[in-house]
Amino acid sequence: MKIMSDNSEISFSNFGVYNLDDQIELTLPNTMIKFNRISENAFSYYRENSEGKIVEKIIPVKSSDVKIELAPIRPLNYPARRTTHLFLQFDKEIYLSENSAASIFVNCPIEIGVFLVHDSNYDSLDWVTCDPLNSRFGLYGSPDTGTLCKYAKVSMATDYDDSDPYVEAVMQIVVENTMSFGQSISKVVFPITDNSLYYQNSKAIIDGLKITMKKRAAVNIADVQTISLETDWSASPTWEDKTASTHMEMGLE
Amino acid sequence: MILEFLQSLSEMQIVGELTLLSLLIGGVIMAGGVIIAKIAKLLFHKYYAPSLPKDTAQNISKLIYFGILIISFLGFTSSQGIDLSGIMVAGGIFAVVIGFATQSVVSNLISGLFLIVEKPAKHGDTIELPDMGISGTLLDIGTFSSKVRRFDGTVTRIPNEKFFTSNIRSLTLSTVRRADATVGISYQSEIDHAILVMKNEILQTMPFVLQIPEPEFRIEELGESSVNIHVYVWHPRDDWSNTQPILLNTLKRALDKSGIEIPFPQRVIWTGKD
Repeated sequence: MKIMSDNSEISFSNFGVYNLDDQIELTLPNTMIKFNRISENAFSYYRENSEGKIVEKIIPVKSSDVKIELAPIRPLNYPARRTTHLFLQFDKEIYLSENSAASIFVNCPIEIGVFLVHDSNYDSLDWVTCDPLNSRFGLYGSPDTGTLCKYAKVSMATDYDDSDPYVEAVMQIVVENTMSFGQSISKVVFPITDNSLYYQNSKAIIDGLKITMKKRAAVNIADVQTISLETDWSASPTWEDKTASTHMEMGLE
Repeated sequence: MILEFLQSLSEMQIVGELTLLSLLIGGVIMAGGVIIAKIAKLLFHKYYAPSLPKDTAQNISKLIYFGILIISFLGFTSSQGIDLSGIMVAGGIFAVVIGFATQSVVSNLISGLFLIVEKPAKHGDTIELPDMGISGTLLDIGTFSSKVRRFDGTVTRIPNEKFFTSNIRSLTLSTVRRADATVGISYQSEIDHAILVMKNEILQTMPFVLQIPEPEFRIEELGESSVNIHVYVWHPRDDWSNTQPILLNTLKRALDKSGIEIPFPQRVIWTGKD
């Protein structure tokens, strides 16, 4: 696909599965990824991101049939993985009158995962974010008991195609107000680990949410549940950070 | 040959019915107990401890080690034909004598038990003991003392009694922490504009600073040469080193970019002639 940048036309790589033969170069906004075969059973991996940070890896492979998959992943890794919760602050408040419901689409931030596919196994190789400036933390609640979240101020989308490629996925949120008075909603906080992502070309969508505003005893609450999408878009593999190790058997020099 | 040697040992009486052979058997039991305890502790650390919380693993490890040692000791005493009931009777008087002689040791031991039960801090927590001027990572709450690895890499041993009775400031109990810094701007500068540029620079260039709650700016003082602004930012609790050390640098960069002066102290001296 083609996307216009400020001065020139840059062709970015789509999400999807790529055969890893001898050499492959993937271009994302502000990010360059290169694979090179360095021997019969090994590849080199090179990635440079928008901040000029370079990551290089050597990837030994068992079989010659090796593929890589570029796919959207949950936005939990930049600048460091500290939480599994996402805090979406809507740019406009949504008002629901008593006993009413509404369905909206919002642009949810994403990161991009690079997976090694061999023998139908998916190995998490690396991840990148194309929008580091908007990948920040926020706190829901008080400092001593609150929940640390990845924070994003999000705008409304019109449908599943209305998103910034490589940076956002569209999420449907169904809001229902079962209370006997009108209520405004301006943010939603939820564990995003239950939400799967799907992609098609450069676009991504994510499992939706159902928010039910209700009264429980004397307390007004918003119950947030995940809605699984039924779509023909490709499901994204789940990213797992395998770099952290809690145990070391022995040191090698 | 060996049998004859053992026979000769059994005939060599030391005190009462205590022979060299029984002492040797007792020694073997104790040595075996120590070796088994060490192996059990090692195996536990290798196969089970990594999957448990650090403090739980340490406590279970100690329980295994000292449990095996106590069983070995009981085996040793029974092999020597020692009647423990006699010791129990004498134990009362003995305990009083030992209690006075080893008051601080017992105090440390009891404090250690209380620390394990109360858990004011866990292994791996970052703590500060303001009374002692010590801050670092809690490595271990031992039988008599605790160990804290300070940020310079050195390890400080603190007697449990002191540790238990001192103020303990935990830096890892809350989800987030706050970093702060003070910066002065000239009286000619517009305060609101200075705050805006500092806030923008922080939010753009410091990825670990929380967007909610937002960075906070308080006019701390109308100083002799500058308007002093105190800046507070929140960050995830483990990212102090990604925030506090670079905060002042970020503030100065923001002010420099906008041409806002950070004044030097100035003093006007009037002499008699003037």
